Amino acid sequence: MLNIPPPEILLQLSINGALGGAMYGVAAVGLSLIFGTMRLIFLAQGAMIILAAYFVRALFYGLGIDPFLSLLIVVPVGLGVGWLIYQGLFRRAAAEEDRNISLLIAVGLMFLVQNLMTVVWGGNTAAVVTTYTASGIELLGVRTSFTRSMGFLIALAGTGLVVLFLRGTLVGKAVRAASEDMEAATLMGISPHRVNAIAFAIGISLAGAAGVAVATTFPFNPFAGFIFSLKALVALALGGIGNVAGALAGGIILGLIEAYVQYFISGGWTNAIAYGVFLAVLMFKPEGLFSRPYKKA
Amino acid sequence: MANRLLEVSDLDVAYGDVGALWGVSIHVDPGTIVAIVGANGAGKTTLMKAISGLVRPKRGEIRLGGASLVGRAPEEIARMGIAHVPEGRGLFRQMTVLENLELGAFQPKARPRLQQSLEKAYALFPRLRERAHQKAGSLSGGEQQMLAIARATMSDPALLILDEPSLGLSPLVVQQMFALIQTLHGQGVTILLVEQNIHQALKVADHGFVLKTGELAMQGSGAELLADPEIQKAYMGVLE
Ligand SMILES: Nc1ncnc2c1ncn2[C@@H]1O[C@H](COP(=O)(O)OP(=O)(O)OP(=O)(O)O)[C@@H](O)[C@H]1O
Ligand SMILES: [Mg+2]
Repeated sequence: MLNIPPPEILLQLSINGALGGAMYGVAAVGLSLIFGTMRLIFLAQGAMIILAAYFVRALFYGLGIDPFLSLLIVVPVGLGVGWLIYQGLFRRAAAEEDRNISLLIAVGLMFLVQNLMTVVWGGNTAAVVTTYTASGIELLGVRTSFTRSMGFLIALAGTGLVVLFLRGTLVGKAVRAASEDMEAATLMGISPHRVNAIAFAIGISLAGAAGVAVATTFPFNPFAGFIFSLKALVALALGGIGNVAGALAGGIILGLIEAYVQYFISGGWTNAIAYGVFLAVLMFKPEGLFSRPYKKA
Repeated sequence: MANRLLEVSDLDVAYGDVGALWGVSIHVDPGTIVAIVGANGAGKTTLMKAISGLVRPKRGEIRLGGASLVGRAPEEIARMGIAHVPEGRGLFRQMTVLENLELGAFQPKARPRLQQSLEKAYALFPRLRERAHQKAGSLSGGEQQMLAIARATMSDPALLILDEPSLGLSPLVVQQMFALIQTLHGQGVTILLVEQNIHQALKVADHGFVLKTGELAMQGSGAELLADPEIQKAYMGVLE
């Protein structure tokens, strides 16, 4: 029998889990967008997040720019980099419609970015330490980390902006249309390359935002991104592939699961259980936790 | 000849090594309804897909108002003025009726007229106004087909392609569908209509082409083809 811990502990676990899980969530939102139009699992997303974290660190220690202020640089740069990654690396493979090639390119990009980071910044653990790194704030009567709370806000704002774009603008609607049925979208005059590039631009700029959150919260190293990609994949499955807000929620749920597993079972089990949940969801509820099963047309 | 809107000449299309169309030539004059009829697997859908760029012909020429379409991407052909309602309708089922209509006016030259086009579509299909904020996938089959056609008219296309609009609809809704096609025709829309409902299609068509296992078997005015004994024997015995 489990001992039921006091409610304060449960609340503490829930808040910490949710705050941490939002990081997976924002990574998953990027994966969801890119998967939507390209049917590609962009495994390099985690590496891009860590790259952004190093960039934030360089801006902080090199130019003295506050990590949260650097969002104003990282997010637009991410948009541009995402656009270039699509045009430079994926455009031709997307035109061939061979998704295996795109997946291999994503894996290649991941290894390239990891190793370039090692060359430039070394393989050791890096961190961004500011005056407020150790500060705490009070949240629902629970003391929690200031930077984690900021990371949560960043994830929420980033996802909110993406949802507004997808629902409120004609180009955003075109991205959703292309995600649902690319062939029908082209008949509307929508260019696949254009929506793919937009998905990449937004996806990588979200990686930039997540990089800020990671850099201010955790120590990181060049290879820390891969596990992030995997966790984002789990969040994506939980939230329902193609459901952007669901991806964020999926990340938060994953964070909660990890926090509870760590407390009630042991830290060693968190990853195993996270991937177990991933498989279980794909097997029994492949449309995600938040949608009803699709009716056959 | 000079003012043909669409001219397809000597078209060959294959899926991999398997041929689907051989030496097919058709044409559509502005303001007319042209019907393409033929049995299952005759190549009607393939011909429409070749016109709108979804499949690439092996040989032959396709011209819209004189400009060649061969080798162009479907989105480019859409912007040149062809609106293709595919077999199966191609609706964005997870998106609302209104969003589907808006996407019909996605191309730059249609966007400024979005509001007018929307009013025009709603006037023609009042049901769609009532259901504007429902998901397209929640509509009945007939309503979905109406939405697919309404969406295609949002870009004010030079040529409207309808691939089996009556497929899967009840007889009453099929009647409404054909009435609608005639209304659109009355508004000056040029229509290329694929149908297995041969009798109905030839009745509304100015001109018809009969495809048979990938080749052009016959052509003539709608009335001529309707009266043709061979057509009556081959295609209409079972239907009417
Ligand atoms: N994607 C495809 N790959 C391979 N062969 C195909 C493909 N689509 C169609 N075909 C073949 O091409 C031929 C013509 O098919 P098409 O769909 O154009 O006929 P259709 O006249 O539209 O038939 P239906 O009335 O059933 O819609 C058929 O033999 C079909 O099996
Ligand atoms: Mg067909």
